[in-house]
Amino acid sequence: MIGALIIVFREVIEAGLIIGIVLAATKGSLGSRLWIAGGTLAGVAGACLVAVFMGAIGQAFGGFGQELFNASVLGAAVVMLAWHNIWMAGHGRAMAENLFAAGRSAIAGGKTQFTLAIVVGAAVMREGAEVVLFLFGVAAGEGGNIGSMVTGGVTGLVLGAAVSALTYFGLLKIPQRHLFAVTGWLIAFLAAGMASQAAGYLQQAGTIEILGQTLWNTSWLLKDGSILGKVLHTLIGYDDRPTLLQLVAYVATLGTIVMLTRRAKQPKQPAPAAATLGAPAE
Amino acid sequence: MHHMLRLAAAAGIAVLSISASSADDVKTYTLTLKDKTFTPSELKVPAGQAFMLEFTNENAAPAELESSDLQIEKVAPGNGKITVRVKALDAGSYAFVDEFQEDDAKGVIVAE
Repeated sequence: MIGALIIVFREVIEAGLIIGIVLAATKGSLGSRLWIAGGTLAGVAGACLVAVFMGAIGQAFGGFGQELFNASVLGAAVVMLAWHNIWMAGHGRAMAENLFAAGRSAIAGGKTQFTLAIVVGAAVMREGAEVVLFLFGVAAGEGGNIGSMVTGGVTGLVLGAAVSALTYFGLLKIPQRHLFAVTGWLIAFLAAGMASQAAGYLQQAGTIEILGQTLWNTSWLLKDGSILGKVLHTLIGYDDRPTLLQLVAYVATLGTIVMLTRRAKQPKQPAPAAATLGAPAE
Repeated sequence: MHHMLRLAAAAGIAVLSISASSADDVKTYTLTLKDKTFTPSELKVPAGQAFMLEFTNENAAPAELESSDLQIEKVAPGNGKITVRVKALDAGSYAFVDEFQEDDAKGVIVAE
């Protein structure tokens, strides 16, 4: 039972953390709970589909379909996370300047919530497929301990949900005026970690063969497959044996998000300012 | 901004200075899982050479070939076959398991 619990918990912990962060990042925005619930449910449905077709996916692309599939799903999530952060930066400024009518901002809020619903769905689908396969294997097995294995598996799922709740309520302890700055950084690191992971999958599939050298090995200190390793892997992209390409993907993603977010924050009014400066001279 | 440029330049130089590794004659080794037993349970490979691992899962239940030492984590469906790329290894032994029954189904790759 404990074995099943640990296996399932280890798989769902990443999705659990992501859901918690996304819940906090969209706190107070209209309809965001529905979007996230929808994303989670779609992710569960997707996980079942992926589990059913795992054989076909694995056979695709010369036997490396699983890696390419994971890389694509991660890549899509990176884009969505980046878009959310950049949009939030611009939107925060617009709200401060009272440029947005309430109605318009609600519609636009729906847009960025959609991107985060996709992120949640993608995480649940990727991690959930393995849980589905594992539980299916247990159900198909002829051992007499199916009941205890299922109990362990379900307990693992419940613990995953508890991780979401802990993350969410922990983040809510942060004063409101700092909350979105913190979730913004969390999301930027989340995206960078996913980009690094996607790069790792592309290397495993042999799609990219450059920059394959391992940079360091800290598995003696913290294995990225352990529970704490998984948590850090999700939050900051910790990898116990990253390749150079993974580091490049990480830095490039983080840098791009930070740069575009800064740019979105800057007030766009250089032309009127020049006109005012020019006025007294006449 | 300057940092970004410098990083981009560093990345570019890194790309240029490392030629793409060639994928010429990569050896393939086979590995089979039946019930809780890997065959071979100890696979010998030459150190310093990348290779492919063809893993056949002969169980009805899915298996997940996993090795944190080798950074492999890949699902094989019931009665299915998968291929895994393994980087050139330093001499030593590298453990792997079927994650779905990780306490029982274990094996090791020995690079020498």
